[in-house]
Amino acid sequence: MHQALFLVSEAFTTLGRHKAVTFLSIVIMSLTLLVLAVFLLATDNVLTFLDRARREMTVFVYVKDDVPVRIVQDHYNRLLRMDEVETVMFISKEQAMAEFREELGEERSMLEVLETNPLPASFRVTLKKPYREKAAIERFAASVRDATIVEEVSYGKEFIEQFSAVSRGFLYVDLGLGLIVILSSVFIISNTVRLTIMSRQKSIEVLKLVGATNRFITTPFVVEGAFQAGVASVVSLGLLFGIFLLMKGILPDLSFLEPGKIALYVVACILLGSIGSFASLRRHLRL
Amino acid sequence: MDALEPRKIIGIYHLSKRYGDRVVLRDVNLQVGNGEFVFLVGPSGAGKSTLLRMIYMDETPNEGQVVVGSFVSTSLKHRQIPHLRRKIGIIFQDFKLIEDRDVFENVAVAMRVVGLPNAEIKKRVIQVLTQVGLYHKRYDRPVTLSGGEQQRVAIARAIVNNPEILLADEPTGNLDPEVTKEILQIILRINSSGTAVLMATHNHELVRNYAQRIVFLRDGTIEEDLRLGLAAFTKDRPELSDPALRTLGTTRGPVGPVEERR
Repeated sequence: MHQALFLVSEAFTTLGRHKAVTFLSIVIMSLTLLVLAVFLLATDNVLTFLDRARREMTVFVYVKDDVPVRIVQDHYNRLLRMDEVETVMFISKEQAMAEFREELGEERSMLEVLETNPLPASFRVTLKKPYREKAAIERFAASVRDATIVEEVSYGKEFIEQFSAVSRGFLYVDLGLGLIVILSSVFIISNTVRLTIMSRQKSIEVLKLVGATNRFITTPFVVEGAFQAGVASVVSLGLLFGIFLLMKGILPDLSFLEPGKIALYVVACILLGSIGSFASLRRHLRL
Repeated sequence: MDALEPRKIIGIYHLSKRYGDRVVLRDVNLQVGNGEFVFLVGPSGAGKSTLLRMIYMDETPNEGQVVVGSFVSTSLKHRQIPHLRRKIGIIFQDFKLIEDRDVFENVAVAMRVVGLPNAEIKKRVIQVLTQVGLYHKRYDRPVTLSGGEQQRVAIARAIVNNPEILLADEPTGNLDPEVTKEILQIILRINSSGTAVLMATHNHELVRNYAQRIVFLRDGTIEEDLRLGLAAFTKDRPELSDPALRTLGTTRGPVGPVEERR
């Protein structure tokens, strides 16, 4: 136990002894992680936007005229019980006309020529998150279309098709870019760690000569790597917040990472630093 | 080959080592007894440093076997090497001290790797620093010390765990004659307390004045193994005449040529 404590304290003592190298390593790691953080913020915002757009996808189930209220009510309840359905809103013929009148604005006078209300009553259905994609919406539309009271089902097929294609394209590009950014970060961080290792090669050689185990040699480096990456992740988040504030003026809808995601990012960076140190040390020293 | 019988601490059997096509050691056989002091001499490139590295398992033989106490090279697992090295003290021509640690920590590190408690480390380090005459310099950094002092720190580190073997690879190569004598006196005192010493050197004077046993190495083979006895410290011995020492060579360069080091 006291050896474990010694190794951890040794890591911090060494960081203090090599202030310049430590500072430089943290600066390099912070800038590298900033690229990763900017990428994550952009991805997070685009995904939020796509999710919001999906949430606004509404399936319109138009009801035939003169259907008794009781049957409409039964159908409303039936829709609500369906697994896919999140919300159902009934819009009567009169409400539909009122909305339409509102939409027309100053041109609403043209409606005065109508002798009867041609607009049908409808159910406006939003689907749960897993069902907000093209195939699931099509399946849902098909399942409600057969009901006798239903005149027609509409869900903006073209928009959904285009939206799905754009979403899919974004995901592929984002995954590709993400992979490049992460691999670059790993590469730069492991090389930064390697510089630290090389600057202390003589100490490592001495430790091996006096009978230090691999654990004894690697533990302080892993602790140092984790600490440096942890600090660098916090610095990069600070820089990211500065960029976010600047961008907020141009893109008011931009939102910062949620606390849970920030915690996950810091933990991932700490893991990246410690694993990077361990891997570099093993490769470099043939431990 | 099993572990050595009690009176032998190092056993080297039909040892060969090659780097590519270059043969560095060829069918070397050597046994060192408990508490024995052996000078390993030969010209640069003879294979002295490689032989020492084989003993602390920094190199693996191509053929043959090295036995150190209960450790046998042919059956030794990689993870056992640190345990072997804790039984051996090693000193070098270039001291190999950690520059950003003070004298105390440079010595203590050999005990820290074993996981000993701080109180025990402090007590023992003070003891060995006193033994090598450096207690008053315990908080100094190596860079502020003279060559002789740095070598004494290295010796203190090598003996702090009471090793059964002390390997010395040209330990006086960087030191002037006066300091060389001091260092050798310290090593002789360590030897007299029961630690076997195997010392590679180019230094004629040391061998002539202090040798009990000399192993002559040339072109990777043992040319001669002279046992002179404990009371043989005399300049009149015919077996230590200049012609016999001709194999030592005259260079006092670094510890073995660079290509021999790996």
